[in-house]
Amino acid sequence: MMGRLFEPIVIPFAALLVALLLFGIFITAAGADALGVFESMYRGAFGTWFSWQNTLVRAAPLMLTALCTALPARIGLIIIGGEGAVVVGGMTAALTGIVLTHASPIIVLTAMAFMGMTTGGLWIAAISALRHYRGVNETISSLLLNYIAIAIMNFLVFGPLRDPETLNKPSTYHIGEANMLTEMGSTSIHWGFGLGVIACVALWVLMRHTPFGFAVDITGGNMRAAKLSGLPVARLMIITSLLAGAAAGLAGMIEVAAVHGRANSSLNANYGYEGILVAFIARHNPLAIIPVAILFGGIRASSGLLQRDHDLPDASSLVLQGIIFIVILASETLYGRFSWLRAKEKTV
Amino acid sequence: MNETEFSLLNILIAVIGGAIRVGTPFLFVSLGECLTERSGRINLGLEGTLMMGAMTGYGASYLSGSPWLGVMAAGMTGVILGGVHALLCQQQKVNDIAVGIALMLLGTGLAFFLGKPLIQPTAAHLPALHLGSWSDSPVIQAALDINVLFVMGALLAPAMAWFFRYSRWGLYVRTVGESADAARAMGLNVNRVRMYSTMAGGFLAGVGGSFLSLYYPGGWSEGLSSGQGLMAVALVIFARWNPVYCLYASLLFGAAATLGPTLQSIGMTWGYYLFHAAPYVLTLIIMITTSSSTRLLSGMPGQLSNVK
Amino acid sequence: MTIPDKYALEALHINKRFGALIALNDVSLHLEKSTFHALLGENGAGKSTLVKCIMGYYAPDSGELMIEGKQHDISNPRHAHQLGLGMVYQHFTLIPNMTVMENLVLSRPHLPIKIDWRAERKSLQERIAQLPFQFQLDIPVSRMAAGEKQKLEITKQLLLNSKILILDEPTSVLTPVEADEVLGKLHALTQEGALSVLIITHKFREVMTFADEVTVLRKGNCVGTATVKNVDTQQLAKMMVGTEFVKKTLHRQPSLAQEARLEIHNLKVNDDTQAQAVNNLSLTVHSGEIVGIAGVSGNGQRELVEALSGQRCTSGGEIRAHKQPYQGRREDMRKSHFYCLPEEPLRNACVPAMSIAENMVFRNFDHLPFTRYRWLLDRRAMLHHARELISQYKIRTPGPHVPIATLSGGNVQRAVLARELENEVDILVVANPCFGLDFSAVAEIHDKIMQVRNRGGAVLLVSEDLDEILELSDRLMVMSGGKLVYETIPAQADLATIGRYMAGQ
Repeated sequence: MMGRLFEPIVIPFAALLVALLLFGIFITAAGADALGVFESMYRGAFGTWFSWQNTLVRAAPLMLTALCTALPARIGLIIIGGEGAVVVGGMTAALTGIVLTHASPIIVLTAMAFMGMTTGGLWIAAISALRHYRGVNETISSLLLNYIAIAIMNFLVFGPLRDPETLNKPSTYHIGEANMLTEMGSTSIHWGFGLGVIACVALWVLMRHTPFGFAVDITGGNMRAAKLSGLPVARLMIITSLLAGAAAGLAGMIEVAAVHGRANSSLNANYGYEGILVAFIARHNPLAIIPVAILFGGIRASSGLLQRDHDLPDASSLVLQGIIFIVILASETLYGRFSWLRAKEKTV
Repeated sequence: MNETEFSLLNILIAVIGGAIRVGTPFLFVSLGECLTERSGRINLGLEGTLMMGAMTGYGASYLSGSPWLGVMAAGMTGVILGGVHALLCQQQKVNDIAVGIALMLLGTGLAFFLGKPLIQPTAAHLPALHLGSWSDSPVIQAALDINVLFVMGALLAPAMAWFFRYSRWGLYVRTVGESADAARAMGLNVNRVRMYSTMAGGFLAGVGGSFLSLYYPGGWSEGLSSGQGLMAVALVIFARWNPVYCLYASLLFGAAATLGPTLQSIGMTWGYYLFHAAPYVLTLIIMITTSSSTRLLSGMPGQLSNVK
Repeated sequence: MTIPDKYALEALHINKRFGALIALNDVSLHLEKSTFHALLGENGAGKSTLVKCIMGYYAPDSGELMIEGKQHDISNPRHAHQLGLGMVYQHFTLIPNMTVMENLVLSRPHLPIKIDWRAERKSLQERIAQLPFQFQLDIPVSRMAAGEKQKLEITKQLLLNSKILILDEPTSVLTPVEADEVLGKLHALTQEGALSVLIITHKFREVMTFADEVTVLRKGNCVGTATVKNVDTQQLAKMMVGTEFVKKTLHRQPSLAQEARLEIHNLKVNDDTQAQAVNNLSLTVHSGEIVGIAGVSGNGQRELVEALSGQRCTSGGEIRAHKQPYQGRREDMRKSHFYCLPEEPLRNACVPAMSIAENMVFRNFDHLPFTRYRWLLDRRAMLHHARELISQYKIRTPGPHVPIATLSGGNVQRAVLARELENEVDILVVANPCFGLDFSAVAEIHDKIMQVRNRGGAVLLVSEDLDEILELSDRLMVMSGGKLVYETIPAQADLATIGRYMAGQ
């Protein structure tokens, strides 16, 4: 038992430590005080209840966008289109909110979530359909679709849907204060976090404990074996991508309904790209995504403090993420090399 | 009537000039990716290399006063990033697509971080050849200012084709890309050949990046590249891994990307932001029409079929 | 004056371990100059390991290599080439997307920086004219038939002036006629004194017809070396297997019912390049019979099996099971009891990283007893089920939870067989089931296939091993160029005729 759990827990932790060390060397070279930076990061992310709330709010979209990469990865597709799905999901959710603005909030929110998830889902499902029926490389097409989504959004917020009152940051009209997603209890954490956790748990059950998830794992593990077993490979791929895209679309909806109230360029705030990283660190396990997303929410939440206290550019969190990603990928090669542990396990 | 004809000609020349200007980074990145992929590996990290190249090129030019030193510095940055990619990918169980994504994020982040002080200052730009001096029209003159780097890239494309066909090293690269087993049986060091190819590919992508900051659009900013590095990967597929086709394809992509600004310049403003999407849509359409789910692509290096 | 050494190559007291496995235990081999020497042994006896040690792929743990009487430590294949050793591998090492000329030039050890293709062509044409096999220089290798490729591999080594040629099972991709041609020409070259040949094989016929001497390996040990003139097949078999080799005859029940189970009408299937690999093929397999399809690899057999197993789309024609159209969906498979044992089971039928238990439920995981409350998986039932099959099929494994990729080839094959034969089987498609397995595993698997037939199943056996087909099938067909070109029954089969049809004449 210990041997089987050893690798998936110890290796990522060790990799994280190595990454932090490398980042420390990097910022020391850039003239900052590394220990002070780590201290500020901890303070900004997990130091106080206030910073915890900040962190959890930022973790909410990360969990959902991580699902957008993790689910397709289980079936063998490397999709990095979460950013685009967030944008289109947020966009249609905002549109729905604007159109229905006078209906009762619960209806507005439900309709917004439904529309955001549907468009996000179709957006990603199209990628895997292109892959399956036309052989189009899904990694490249998903990235192209990110840019296309942003172009469409810019066209709409600078053009037909622009609220003339928004000057600095052109945006759509507001969905109405009454229709905003509320906070959980007395905290300042909005319900998006709750939705993110529910989505991760539900999809974990689906992937790990149902025949559907088993079929997905067979297909992702070996397409030829899946076909030999008569599994409906195309359907599995498209449903999985639909769920993945729906998660990212929901993230867009939450950003609109809980944070901004409108759709604008804040939707492409890199949540999609960070989600890729979260998914890889969690090794595409929906349950592991929750803690990893919280960790990365913390990095995001503390980035303001780093700029203020240490005069580091906001790109420093990008650098840290990049380093973590590289080290985590490099650590993949270590899996299965600790056979001595297994051997010992047997003799005990 | 004469006037409209004249302006159509102007648009055409502007698009050609724009295709060359915008297409040059595509050309360098796609040639770099072409070389890497012919050795049997995909490097999606060239987007990050492009940004790093743009940043270091600009910084080196600013510090030294020589844009050509900037180009060299950009290339060397690319070599380092390519080396990191190759080093990671040759480890067991490490997926080269994922490493590419990681390097794309890291390269972009590093470029933003280190490039912060470079947003204000002005660095020496690369010189241009004024091929339009025969005309008195400023539009034509501006359009036909061809950069020296483009000329180099345009010469490099057939040179690379020659390299693959006639040189020992070119044959080795192709062998490793077609069949690693055969290469090993021949006694070639597969990892080393791939390492050099990825590093050389990184050099070219870095140079492409320096063009962005040292010529067009010029200057250093965080919005300098928007996916050119990745589109170049798609472009290599479209060009069937042939360097000369990479040249044509880059010009085509450049023309698509220049469409929006050109139309705006003649007063067509509606849908300006939609035209931003033109090169991406074009790439996607090209990928859809040229790929196939049942057939292996002709010209595809054998070792890539397991990655596809 | 020194006396020229008697031996071209000697491997003395070679030992090689892989972890706990002793692959070679004090093995010695003497290849006399200008002779044709066979290295005989079962799969897994250590033949390939031995030649890989000779060629510098592996470093032996101890032992010496002598070439022309001088001791050498061969560190890599390139070094071996410099010493005049050439090897033809079981898997082709030609580059499919390059032309014959590019392949031949590329294999030269010292290429100039710039290649002068015109001069290369001239010198190649001149040199190939002196060698036994002729080629067109400008066609890509991917368009050549397997036999041609094998000849090109040999020519490549001869052009390198190899004095010692090692061939790893060179005839497995050749028709009997081609095999005789290739080995005959190589034998002639050894008699001219130009070459010494070491050939790995498990076919007695080739040893008896062509070899001068034979060395036999068994389980990593050298059993002995003999002059072929002084031994017979029985003795060789005994050396190879250890005991007097008694072949257990398969129990074949007289077939009774003749009801059409699997019908294929005008089937067309394309390969990866969109070329038609299966060409209007029609075939019927009845209950209680084994239909064997023989042929040289690359004649559409793989595509046919993939189409039947659902791994490849058809481009025309129809497959019917139990007289109903068969689409290869999961429901169709269950309903018509249609199962498949593809070649290379780890690549085609397993998820290597998943556990044995998981791999064993691919057919049934969505039904009782592996589901709970209709839509949840019961992983404990999977483990229990796997334990039963493991003991029933005698699969050697540390337990049901280890990844299936860690098992040996024979055990993977048994595990897949256990899974595919677990349910009632009416139709079974089998492809090269015994490739790379040792005698006892082969016998077991043949027995299981025969049992399916005896219980009234319809079996389609596609194999490159003609002996296997002759032994198992009730009817035998030859596939060539994507078509079935010849049909006979094993009792009346004439090897020469079959060989002619396999070669496409």
